Amino acid sequence: MSAYERVKQWNTFARIWHIYDAKWQNPFDSAKVISKHIQGLHKPIYHPLNNCGDHVIVFNSRHIALPGYEWKKRAYFHHTGYPGGASWTLAWQLHEINPTLVMQKAVKWELPRGLSKFGLMARLHIFPDEEIPEELLKNVTSQLRQLRPVPRTLDSYSDKEIEEFPKVMDYPNDYILK
Amino acid sequence: MMNIHGLTKTLASRSFQSVSVGRNIHVTATSFLKQIVEQKQGKTLTIEAVYQPSPRSSTLIKLPEVEDKECCSLCKLDLPIKHTDVLILSQFLRSDGCMLSRRVTKLCSKQQMRMSNLVSMAQKAGLMSKLNPRNSKKNPKLRYGEKKFNNYWDESLMRPL
Ligand SMILES: [Zn+2]
Repeated sequence: MSAYERVKQWNTFARIWHIYDAKWQNPFDSAKVISKHIQGLHKPIYHPLNNCGDHVIVFNSRHIALPGYEWKKRAYFHHTGYPGGASWTLAWQLHEINPTLVMQKAVKWELPRGLSKFGLMARLHIFPDEEIPEELLKNVTSQLRQLRPVPRTLDSYSDKEIEEFPKVMDYPNDYILK
Repeated sequence: MMNIHGLTKTLASRSFQSVSVGRNIHVTATSFLKQIVEQKQGKTLTIEAVYQPSPRSSTLIKLPEVEDKECCSLCKLDLPIKHTDVLILSQFLRSDGCMLSRRVTKLCSKQQMRMSNLVSMAQKAGLMSKLNPRNSKKNPKLRYGEKKFNNYWDESLMRPL
C-alpha cells in the first residue's frame, strides 16, 4: 500500500469533528444537515451497521432564529403520567429555560427511530454561546456552512454607508424632512 | 421695479430662508426648502426663491432604459427586495420609524403595501430598532416574551405583485 493510499484510508475511517455556527439559523433546517453528519450519511462508506458518524459542535444556539410567529406557536408536549399531568411549553418558554433544548430536540427528531438515537446524540455537542471547551475545539477540522445569511441591522452600518447607498426613491420638492 | 413672483410663492408654501446679509427675521416657519436669490441687473432687482436640491439627488438610481415606463420607481427597477434589505427599506421611513405616505413615496398601491409589510417584518426581526418611536425598546433583546428572540420572515408567502 502506497503512502497516499494509506493516508486516504486513515481519512476515510477517521472521525471528523465539524463545527456549526447556529447564529440566525433555523434549527429545524439545520438539524437535517447536522443529523446527516452525525450518522455519517454524507460518506460513501455509509452502512447502517457501520459506525462511521462524525462529531458536530453547535455553538451560538441561544441566537437561533425561528420563522414568523413560531416562537409562540410551537408547543412542546410533556406528560408526567399522572392524571392531569399534561403540559404544553411554548418554544420561547423552553428557550428561556434552556437555550440548547430547541436545537437538541430538532436534531433528535431528525435521527432514525430506535435505540441508535442515544449513541448518535452523544456525538452532538451544543453550546449556547461562543464559549467552547478547549479540549473539544482542538479536535475540530471542518466547518459546516450556514444555511441562511446572518442579517445586518441598520445600526451596524455607518452613517456614510447609509448616505452613499443607492436610493430608489427621491423626496418631492415640497417635502419637509422629519 | 421688483420681481416678486418668487417671493409670493415662497410665502405661500411656508418655507423661507434668508441668505443675504441683514435678513434674519422669519415671517413663517423655516424649513430650508427654498433659497432666496437676489440678482441686480442695472436698475432691476430680482428676488427669487429657488428650490434646494434634495439630499438624495446625488445617489438616486437613474436607469435610462426604463425611464420612459409609466410606473412607479420600484416597478421600474424590479428589485427582489427582502425584509433584510434595511438600507432600502429605511428610505421609506421617517426618522421616528413611521412609513412615508404615498404622496411622498410616489409608489403604486401594491408596492406601497408591500414595502410597509416588509418594514413591519424588519421591525419585528429587530433589524431597524433605532428607527422607532421614542418610547419603544431600542434593544430587541430587552423585548417582552417571545419577541426578544431572533426571527425571520419568508417573502415567498407574501401576496405576489
Ligand atoms: Zn408600481
